[in-house]
Amino acid sequence: MTYAHDIHPAPTTFLTKYVFSYDHKVIAKQFLWYGIFFLGIGGMMALLIRWTLAFPGEPFPVIGPILFPHTNGVVPPDTYSMLFTLHGTIMIFFAITPILIGAFGNYCIPLMIGARDMAFPLLNLLSFHIAVLSAVLMLASLFLPLGGAAGGWTSYPTLSTLIGSPGAGQTLWCLSLFVLGVSSTMGAINYITTIIAFRAPGMGYFDMPLTIWGLWLTAILNALFIPVLGAGLLLLVFDRVFGTTFFLAGAAATTGGGDPILFQHVFWIFGHPEVYILILPAWGMVSDFLSFFSRKPAFAAKATALSMTAITVLSTLVYGHHMFTTQMSPLLTQTFMTLTMTISIPSAIFFANWLGTLWRGSISFDTPMIFALGVVFVFGLGGLTGLYLGAATTDFYLHDTYFVVGHFHYTMAASVLLGGFAGIYFWFPKMFGRMMNETLGKIHFWITMIGLNGVFFGMLVVGYAGMHRRLYNPFVYEFMQNLIPLNTFITWSALLMGFGQLPFLFNFIYSLWKGPIAVENPWQVGTLEWTLPSPPKTHNFDTIPTVKCGPHEFGNPLLKTGRDFQYQTEELVR
Amino acid sequence: MALMMQQFNFFLSQILFSQINVSEAPSIWSAFKRPIDISTYGHLSDWLFDYITVSITISFIFVCAGLFGFCYYYSAKRNKVPYYTYGYKKAHLKITLLIGLVVFFAIDSMIAGIANKDIKEVFWKFPTADENPLHVEIMAQQWMWNFRYEGSDKEFNTDDDITTNHILYVPKGRKIEYRVSSKDVIHSFYIPFIRNKVDAIPGRVTRLWVELTKTGTYDIGCAEMCGTAHYKMGAKLVVMEIEDFEKWQASANVLAKNGSDPSTVENYWGWKWEKQ
Ligand SMILES: [Cu+2]
Ligand SMILES: [Cu+2]
Repeated sequence: MTYAHDIHPAPTTFLTKYVFSYDHKVIAKQFLWYGIFFLGIGGMMALLIRWTLAFPGEPFPVIGPILFPHTNGVVPPDTYSMLFTLHGTIMIFFAITPILIGAFGNYCIPLMIGARDMAFPLLNLLSFHIAVLSAVLMLASLFLPLGGAAGGWTSYPTLSTLIGSPGAGQTLWCLSLFVLGVSSTMGAINYITTIIAFRAPGMGYFDMPLTIWGLWLTAILNALFIPVLGAGLLLLVFDRVFGTTFFLAGAAATTGGGDPILFQHVFWIFGHPEVYILILPAWGMVSDFLSFFSRKPAFAAKATALSMTAITVLSTLVYGHHMFTTQMSPLLTQTFMTLTMTISIPSAIFFANWLGTLWRGSISFDTPMIFALGVVFVFGLGGLTGLYLGAATTDFYLHDTYFVVGHFHYTMAASVLLGGFAGIYFWFPKMFGRMMNETLGKIHFWITMIGLNGVFFGMLVVGYAGMHRRLYNPFVYEFMQNLIPLNTFITWSALLMGFGQLPFLFNFIYSLWKGPIAVENPWQVGTLEWTLPSPPKTHNFDTIPTVKCGPHEFGNPLLKTGRDFQYQTEELVR
Repeated sequence: MALMMQQFNFFLSQILFSQINVSEAPSIWSAFKRPIDISTYGHLSDWLFDYITVSITISFIFVCAGLFGFCYYYSAKRNKVPYYTYGYKKAHLKITLLIGLVVFFAIDSMIAGIANKDIKEVFWKFPTADENPLHVEIMAQQWMWNFRYEGSDKEFNTDDDITTNHILYVPKGRKIEYRVSSKDVIHSFYIPFIRNKVDAIPGRVTRLWVELTKTGTYDIGCAEMCGTAHYKMGAKLVVMEIEDFEKWQASANVLAKNGSDPSTVENYWGWKWEKQ
């Protein structure tokens, strides 16, 4: 069954138009700004962390003395813990989630499936404003007497209980993420419903662009597993505030006895799917962009969609690979290990499909495309290095080392970030009605690519050499003396990557006002959003389109329209 | 107390006299190697690591060949007319499924099989009583490692237990079983030189066994984030020949017995060693 919204009059006041807007396109932009803002903050934190690792005891240049006046600009050890805790938290929940899911989910879903808005516009509005509340709580936690949370983004008890973190910052951190979970759940329910109920007439599930597939599967995982995290965090808050002992044990628990490992189970039941929550939208976009810019149909698109679905299902069954060193029973260890390895089947399938899409294409290297190709490269590295960590024999050595840090940055940071940039460059003309600069885009790509590989490959190497995680000064250990030069190299790469974002920032802001006016369909693509003017009207579609073919109809030799592609509203030419 | 002082002095001398050679700056490439392996099973980890490296390098070469090769040969400049597939082809689905299965059976199931075997036959095969393993209890705390050896009565948590901190004395060529717990937060007992670690969890006792093959002094680290001074929660592993170890044990035993003070309850942090 399909539904369609009525056409409502466009809002007229500033508040209803830009702040409390029900329009999914405005909410998408709000999430985009929010995400880019936190990307900047999280990135700055990364640079502070990297500086400390390469130059222990030396003041951070320029802003160091302002931030840490008591130590003349040197990052103090307790602040260092807060920095890596908040870097992880902010990047995952306040930068990647809002950009990939909040911005692109909101922007693309109604436009690409031919709907006038989300199923529940009020829920959508609330979802953004609750996310703002969550960010306020998170930032406020930094200004509390004992500072912000410092137990790592995983916040394992008992470190995250009063035993290890007496300050209220940790409580506020938990509450902030709980509130954010409410926002994400609202968004997820909205996305799922919209995709099921509001697809344009004629659009079957396999006629949806793969971007929508990715966002849909992400929303399903979000709806299922964010509440699990919320439950865990709430229990943690109870332990901290009301004196319960869900996660306390041993000498530290004065009454009763819980189990700190229980939290790890709860956390990773959420935490492993979270990786896919972040990466699925990027996979979807990449699958689409590779086809769009190769000017040929996506290779075995059905298999791509189904293997993404298979990964979604499998992702719920493998979380134990994060806990091998807690010494689960051998049976559990072996089960989780074997299940983890099965993920390679669907992964190999869509990798093959990506390459199959490029095969015999006519590839043009516009900025969104080179970013999409970048995702294939870095996700290849990220996915493959997961094998070392899925096998217990090698994980016993590599767990909690920089090898893990390098691996998940390749998958969660590098791939998702490049995917996000690809999306921004691709939909910017539709969102803002102007084009971004191609040259600056390419400079941005190459600097980012060189920088991030320097950083994350370097991390893999120092992890292989045994350097463990979350060390304020690794070089107090004798066996890591030889890692100083490589750590310095990683830091320079990180600085390069950081500065590489300046061309993007400039390009983005400059093009908002001064970029060349975008035509309706600059990339010559047939999905529904490109049938609309750039930017689209408030109600998107004057008449709801009827879908007659798939999203990847390129290069059909029988086409007589003078175009090399078909709009999804056109009957497939055979 | 005397024993504690003695150890503290030893620890200091370790730090002061095993000077790191700073005059010669290490090259960036010196990071591309693992620490040496001083255990009987470390080579399993190293071997599997190298095996995976070879497998994924081959896979990644295929990916890169496709990625860069197709980008080169099928760029819009070279290939003006793309290939049109007329909808979804069954053959494509089959090819892609085949690739998925080949990768799984040729790479992943092999790795899973090897790792499963290692767990069953090595890492979880704890030494039996007739192998006469050395028993050590380890209590982690913010930010220190406490070690406890049973005394001549072969019982833990009695007056003649040898306790040390910061330094773990062990023999070469004899199996050692560690039982690990924590007083406060989760730590992780990590010895890079044996390619192994196990978490120290409050309220639980985890186990790790090892047999060492080289004498010398090596780093022990805490791998799990445990608070502000997590980064310096190290200790030293001192591996000695069996005879030297037994000499040390005997003298430390005497010292322990003489220096024990039953009124200091916190010295009795050990627990009964149970058969498992
Ligand atoms: Cu995982
Ligand atoms: Cu520790």
